[in-house]
Amino acid sequence: MLTFIIRRLLITIPMMLVISFLVYLGLELTPGDAVSHMIDPEAAARMTEEQFAEMREALGLNKTFLERYWIWLTNVVQGNFGHSLSGGVAISTIVLDRLPATLELSVFALVFSTLIGCVLGTLSALRRGSGTDNALTVVGMLGVSIPEFFFGLVAILIFALNLGWLPAGGRLLPGYETFFDRLPHIVLPGIVLSLMMTAGVMRYARSSMLDSLSREFIRTARAKGLPAWRINLIHGFRVALTPVVVLIGFRLPTLIGGSVIIEQVFQWPGIGSEFIGAVRGSDYPLVMMIALLSVFAVLMASLIVDVLTALIDPRVRLG
Amino acid sequence: MKQTALDKKFDKIRAMEEAGQLKPAKGSRALRKLMANRLAMVGLVIFSVILLMSIFAPLITEHDPQKINLRAMLKPPSWDHLLGTDRTGRDVFARILYGGRISILVGLGSALMAAVIGVGIGCYTGYKGGWIDTLALRISEIFMSFPQIILVLLLVSIAGQSLMNLIIIFVLTGWAPMYRMARAKMLSLREEEYVQALRSFGVPTVKICYKHILPNALGPIMVNITLSTAMFILAEAGLSFLGLGVPLSVPTWGNILNVAQDLRVLQNNWWLWLPVGSVISLFVLSVNFIGDGLRDSTDPTLQG
Repeated sequence: MLTFIIRRLLITIPMMLVISFLVYLGLELTPGDAVSHMIDPEAAARMTEEQFAEMREALGLNKTFLERYWIWLTNVVQGNFGHSLSGGVAISTIVLDRLPATLELSVFALVFSTLIGCVLGTLSALRRGSGTDNALTVVGMLGVSIPEFFFGLVAILIFALNLGWLPAGGRLLPGYETFFDRLPHIVLPGIVLSLMMTAGVMRYARSSMLDSLSREFIRTARAKGLPAWRINLIHGFRVALTPVVVLIGFRLPTLIGGSVIIEQVFQWPGIGSEFIGAVRGSDYPLVMMIALLSVFAVLMASLIVDVLTALIDPRVRLG
Repeated sequence: MKQTALDKKFDKIRAMEEAGQLKPAKGSRALRKLMANRLAMVGLVIFSVILLMSIFAPLITEHDPQKINLRAMLKPPSWDHLLGTDRTGRDVFARILYGGRISILVGLGSALMAAVIGVGIGCYTGYKGGWIDTLALRISEIFMSFPQIILVLLLVSIAGQSLMNLIIIFVLTGWAPMYRMARAKMLSLREEEYVQALRSFGVPTVKICYKHILPNALGPIMVNITLSTAMFILAEAGLSFLGLGVPLSVPTWGNILNVAQDLRVLQNNWWLWLPVGSVISLFVLSVNFIGDGLRDSTDPTLQG
C-alpha cells in the first residue's frame, strides 16, 4: 500500500511543479511588472523610482528566471499568493472569502444529484427497455443538452420573478445570517446545478446497476428464492454503488469548474464569479492563482480517489 | 417465461424468413443500424433543418441581422418580425439564423480540428510507444488536469476575445480527450496480426498508422467528434452569454442570449431569449442523439 501511495505521489508532484511553472510563465508574459502585483497598490502609489528599483532588487527581479520562479514557488507554498491587481487585496484573502460560498453550493449539488441520480439510474436499470427507461434516457439527454445558464434563467423567471417564491440571486442579505435565512437563496442555484449533473450520475448508475445485475451472485440470490426487492437493493445496488461513489471524488473539481456559470447567473458570490470578474478585468495574478488552485484541487481529488480505490480493490494497487 | 417485446420481434422476423420475404441486407452494417435508430434519425432531421436554415438564411428572411432600426425597438413578434426585435430594433429571427452559422462553425470546426490534432498525435505515438508516447501522454495529462471552463477562461484572458482565438482555445482544450481515445484504440489495434504482417513486408510506419490502422478506429472517432461538437456549442453559448466568448458585434446564439442577464428583459421580453435558448437546446440535443446512435451502431461491445 505504501509503495502504491509513493508511486502515485511521484507522478502527482512533478505534474504540480510543471503546471506551477507554466502558470508562472504565464504571469511573467502577461502585462504588468511583478512588483505591481506583489505590493499593495496604495503603497506603490507613494513610492519613488528609486524605491521601485530597490524593491526589484529586494524581490530578486534582477535575478534569473529560474531563481525568480523558485522565490515565487516558495511564497505560494507558504500561502502567499500575491496581490490582486484591482483593489490590491491579497489573493489568499479573496480565496478564503469566496471559497465557503462555492463549497456550500457544490456540496449541495453533489449530495442532491448523487441521490436523485442513483435512484433514477437504478429504476431505469431495473425496468430496462420499458417506457420508464426510455423516458428517463430522453430526460437525461435533455439534461446534458440544455445550456445550464438557460435552464437557470427559466428557473429564475418562473420561481423568482413570476411566482415570487424564492430570491433570484445573491447569498446573504445584511442582517440575515442564520442557516434558515440563507436556505431560500441556495435552493434555486443548487437545484439547477444538481439537475444538470444528475444526468451524468444517472447514466453511470444505470450501466453500473445493469452490470451488477448480470453477475452470478444475483442468479444465486434468485435461486435461493429471495424477494425481488431484496435481490435488487441489498445484493445488486450495493455492488453497483461502489463505482458510483468513487465517481463522486472525481466530480468535486469538475463541480467547482461547472459552477462558474451558474454562480454568475444567480449572482452567487463564490470563486466562480470572482474568476469571471478577474477574467473580465484582466486581473492576471488572480486568474492564474485561481486556475492553479483549481488544478491543485483536481490533482488532490484524483490522488485521494486512487488511494481509496486501491484500498478497496487490491487489483489496482498490484497492477 | 413471459414473452417480451423482443421475443415477438424475433418471431416475426423468423416467420418472414421462412416465408422467404426477407431481402438480403445491403450497405454497411453500421449504417443500417444507425438508420434503424429512431432517436438518431429524429436527431439527424432536426440537425439538418437547423443547419440548412442557417446556411440559407438570406433566402428565408429578408431582414439584415445587423441592421439597427431605432423606430422598431423591443417590438413583440409580428408578421413582419417573426420573433420580434431587440433593444436596437434588430430582427431576432434573422439574428438566430445568421447566429447559427457562427455557432455551428465554432462547434463543428473546433471539434474537427481537435480531432485532427488529437487523433493525429495519438495514432502515431500510440503505435510507436516509447519516450514519444510517454511525452505526449504527460502533456495531455497537464491539459486534462485543468477543469475545462477554467482553462478556457484562462486562455481567453491571455489571448483576448475574437472568433479565431475562441476556436484555437477550444482546440487547445479539446484535443487531449481525442488523443487519449485514439491512443487507447491504437494500443489494442497494434497487436493485431495484420499489423505484424504489414511490418514484416516493410511498410513504412506512417503508412501503417494512418492508412491501415486508423480506418479501424473511425467509429469511436466519429462518436467523439459529434459529442465534442455538442460540448463546444454549449461552451460557446455559455462564454458568449457571459460576454467572454465571440465579440458581441458578431451575432452568435450565445451573444443573442447575452441580453437575458438583465432581469427586466428576462421578465418582459421573452422573445429575446426563449426562442434562441430553445434552438440551442434542440440543436445540441439532436447532435447528442446522433452521437449516441453512432456509438450504438459502431461499438460491437454494445450489441443487443
